[in-house]
Amino acid sequence: MHELNWGLLIVVYLFLGGLSAGLFFAAGLANYLEVDGQPAYPRIARMGALLAPWPVAIGSALLILDLGNMLRFYKLFTHFRWESPMSIGTYLLTVFTLIAFVYAFSWLPEDWRRSLFGKVPATWKLVHRLNVDISAHRKTIAMVGFPFSIGVGIYTGVLLGAVSARPFWNTNLVAQMFLFSALSSGAAALLLAMVLNKREPIETHETKFLITLDIVFIVLELFIILPYLIHGTLSVLAVKQALWLILGGPYTLVFWVFFMGLGLLVPLAIEVYELAPSLLKGKPFHGDRNLALAATSLVLFGGFLLRYIFVYAGQASSFHKMGLLH
Amino acid sequence: MAMKKRRYALVIDSRKCINCKACVVACKAENGVAVGNFRDWINEDRQGEYPKLRMDFEPEQCHHCESPSCVRVCPTGASWQRKDGIVLVNYDECIGCRYCMIACPYDARYFVEETGVVDKCTLCSHRVDRGDVPACVETCPSKVRIFGDLEDPASRIHELLATRRYRVKEPQTGNGPQLYYLL
Ligand code: SF4
Ligand code: SF4
Repeated sequence: MHELNWGLLIVVYLFLGGLSAGLFFAAGLANYLEVDGQPAYPRIARMGALLAPWPVAIGSALLILDLGNMLRFYKLFTHFRWESPMSIGTYLLTVFTLIAFVYAFSWLPEDWRRSLFGKVPATWKLVHRLNVDISAHRKTIAMVGFPFSIGVGIYTGVLLGAVSARPFWNTNLVAQMFLFSALSSGAAALLLAMVLNKREPIETHETKFLITLDIVFIVLELFIILPYLIHGTLSVLAVKQALWLILGGPYTLVFWVFFMGLGLLVPLAIEVYELAPSLLKGKPFHGDRNLALAATSLVLFGGFLLRYIFVYAGQASSFHKMGLLH
Repeated sequence: MAMKKRRYALVIDSRKCINCKACVVACKAENGVAVGNFRDWINEDRQGEYPKLRMDFEPEQCHHCESPSCVRVCPTGASWQRKDGIVLVNYDECIGCRYCMIACPYDARYFVEETGVVDKCTLCSHRVDRGDVPACVETCPSKVRIFGDLEDPASRIHELLATRRYRVKEPQTGNGPQLYYLL
């Protein structure tokens, strides 16, 4: 009777939405940090700001593609249903995306902005009015955007966690798990982009900042996943059965080996290996390029897998199959 | 004249079910349900081996829940509940996001590829509104299904639920399912 209603497009959408939230958060944070009255990480702040809006924009487009009735997607905006996580999320995501684009605009280098508006016909006066320098307001925009980025990170988890019919999702931990995974993906994506940017090679203090940030988020994520597993195995039968999907059932391998192992613990180990000597023994931080590449790709891979496992295993869980999960 | 409060429900005497599937066919014919989709179905449960064998048949469909989680999650309000308890889909408002299908603990909904919207049992609201019983109820040869108004003290289901023992499926979902299975 039961088949999968949500597939890969939803997985990608949840991943990209979280990624944007994480990019915005890391970039906004970098914008606030100062050393001796000077911005400490201006290049991180700019790179993150310029990247942040795109994943969520692409993700939202994919979500619309996944609807049975694509052309009716506007109906999401003609209704507001506060009990529906999807309805609230639609507005949250829209506001966040707009803020992220405005923030990216505030970071556009002067010449980019000029050449961008140079492509707009001179007669489009209204558009040219937007050609203003709002770089002085970066901090304000970041501050306004912070709660929305956190909100989007949480929402991607609540969308699943609020479904009481699916015991695999229906705990209060999924929202935080997705949030920290999103923040970690954002920090990792930012580091990856900085490392790949050969024109302006990344500096060691920048690598160190992003690696530290990512370690914090991964550890927080671990502190959510462990209670999720412990709590679940001690819970009522329906939840226990749902958890069996990753504790012996079909998603065991991908959860433990690919997500927990390759997607979480291995990159954590790499990042700790990089950071620990400078943190504990006061040695200079090297910031190996290849290790950074490996760790960040694995984090992104893990973030994607987490969504994959939750979307798929969650739909397979149900109150219906009491005693006969197979 | 003030409208009388109604609450439609089904009582199911599943021990009488012989798995003839007349209700499934009647529903398909009445509602034009496409091949491959079902608004009602029969759960089969077999225990033991011959000759110590027990076989149970249990008809199921949308439970027209008291607090339907499908309605709660719908972002457009396309899934809605009538005052008399019947849960319906407004096909013009449905965007086909399938959130309601995921949120239904009884897997009672299906997606129609051709129209891109979700569909489900309507408790034959079109028949009920003109005073008839749902097609599945009318058809059942062993009188497994009893349709009625819980608010009407004179109704047969009111009497059955007052005098017989019954259960509902998975009450722990919190949905308040309204298919009452006699024990
Ligand atoms: S059984 Fe499912 S579709 Fe029917 S009202 Fe309850 S939650 Fe909604
Ligand atoms: S598929 Fe249609 S009825 Fe179901 S939640 Fe989405 S919009 Fe509502």
